[in-house]
Amino acid sequence: MSEEGFDLFKWMATYDKRWVYVFLFIIVIGPLIRPIGMPISVSKLTMGYYDEINSLQEGDIVFDSWNMEFSGYMELKPGVLATHRMFIEKGVKLCIAFGHFEGVAIPEVVFKELKSIMDQYDYKEFEDYIIIGYVLPNEAAVAALAQDFQGVIRVDWKGRSIEGTFLDEIENAGDFALINDYTTGLATTFEIRHMVLTYGTPMAVNSIGVSVPGHLANLDAGLITSLLVTTRGGAELEYLIGAPGPGLKSMDAFTLGHYMLIAFIIIGNIGHYGWSRRAAYRDRTGIR
Amino acid sequence: MAAEWFEFSAIVVGIFISFCMYTTLYGKPNPLRSWAEFSYLGAGTGVSVVISLWYIWTTAILNIQAGDVILIASIILGLMMIFRVHPEYSYISRLPLAFTVGVGLALSLRTIIFTSFLIQINATITKLWTGVPIEFLYRLTIAVSVITILTFFLYTTEVTGPLLLSSKIGEYLMYIGFGAIFAQTFMGRLGLFVGYMESVTTPAWKQPYTIASAIICLIAAFIFDKTGLGEKLSGA
Repeated sequence: MSEEGFDLFKWMATYDKRWVYVFLFIIVIGPLIRPIGMPISVSKLTMGYYDEINSLQEGDIVFDSWNMEFSGYMELKPGVLATHRMFIEKGVKLCIAFGHFEGVAIPEVVFKELKSIMDQYDYKEFEDYIIIGYVLPNEAAVAALAQDFQGVIRVDWKGRSIEGTFLDEIENAGDFALINDYTTGLATTFEIRHMVLTYGTPMAVNSIGVSVPGHLANLDAGLITSLLVTTRGGAELEYLIGAPGPGLKSMDAFTLGHYMLIAFIIIGNIGHYGWSRRAAYRDRTGIR
Repeated sequence: MAAEWFEFSAIVVGIFISFCMYTTLYGKPNPLRSWAEFSYLGAGTGVSVVISLWYIWTTAILNIQAGDVILIASIILGLMMIFRVHPEYSYISRLPLAFTVGVGLALSLRTIIFTSFLIQINATITKLWTGVPIEFLYRLTIAVSVITILTFFLYTTEVTGPLLLSSKIGEYLMYIGFGAIFAQTFMGRLGLFVGYMESVTTPAWKQPYTIASAIICLIAAFIFDKTGLGEKLSGA
């Protein structure tokens, strides 16, 4: 048995950090298996994004930029699904490009989830959307594509010529009605520089949480026109379009995870303060 | 039937592999994590090579065939880059590297001065009152923060008097900013985790495999640690 006995403050300040992971796992997986249905509110940012997508007309061509890998997709999934549901319902044409080599595997997953609504609206690959593949590896590639689309892109992801498709209308980035970017921070800045700044094409961004502060500055400066913030934004968009999905399902876990962090910060601070004050008292007086 | 079985097994193995990766949180080396990590590295490298070759084929070779012969120069520069792996001739790779750096700099400098500097400054220096009180508060906060934080980073003058006060305010505003960024970062990281967990718990048939994988990996990490086998088998 320890000479000092059990010290609650010391335990609160020095407990094994692996308990945090265990609690986080339980707190996240619990509400995902048994959703609680905690309320959410719709932010002004999401309203702006919704209005922008909603203002598109049938036949408008959108540069659909998937600047994400699978890990980022997990966070952006609600926004990606809800936005594409809107695109399909509105009959918007999509030119889908990737900024990460992993991205090429994501459309199969996305369009599989949206199969029922695609069938309902007769939304078909090559007629309504064309996947041009991994064509945004660096700044030079984005600049070239923005300046001379037809000179850079001749075939789609499956090697079929894009001649005779709706992409015939695209000469440069200025011909797109909108750039819609789902980003973990890859080619987004290049698109802002070479598509938005040079051709004035409006750009909507669906960003992962860690990149939001940077994109808020771009939104404030008018470089991007709307911003959907992480899973939360996706959940709000699901709510706005009346199509509950993975976002709304995740919100309980999100909220509880944030409560958990606050609780651990409070526990750690109380423990640290109490323990160090007692240690100072012990050192000063020798009384245990 | 075969396709369904393949998809099912890919999902189950995927769930197990990701929990093997999560055993890194246990804090001790173990072979499960090494296996998952090396599998990802191998698969990722393979995919990267194939996709990059596809990119060269569609944007360079096809365009050369279509008459854009200037791209032959790009192919030659790209091939010169391969000499980097040869100690004797690695100097040849410096030319394409220099070219790439030059082009990259030129492309970014042309626009970065606007996107990261002038337009951002323009957005900061704006009229405070727009008729909406809350908008006024936002704009005032940004203006005060920018001015006071800039005074914190004045290095060539003695910071005293009003400058010291401004610098102190700037310092505390930065602490608030760091807190906000930390919260935002936590939300982002949690978003990645929640998003992944959502995908491995939906549809409901995945749930037993997810929970079983989590328990098996936790127990395995514990056993590897206690028996000392983890370090030996993981190659750490």
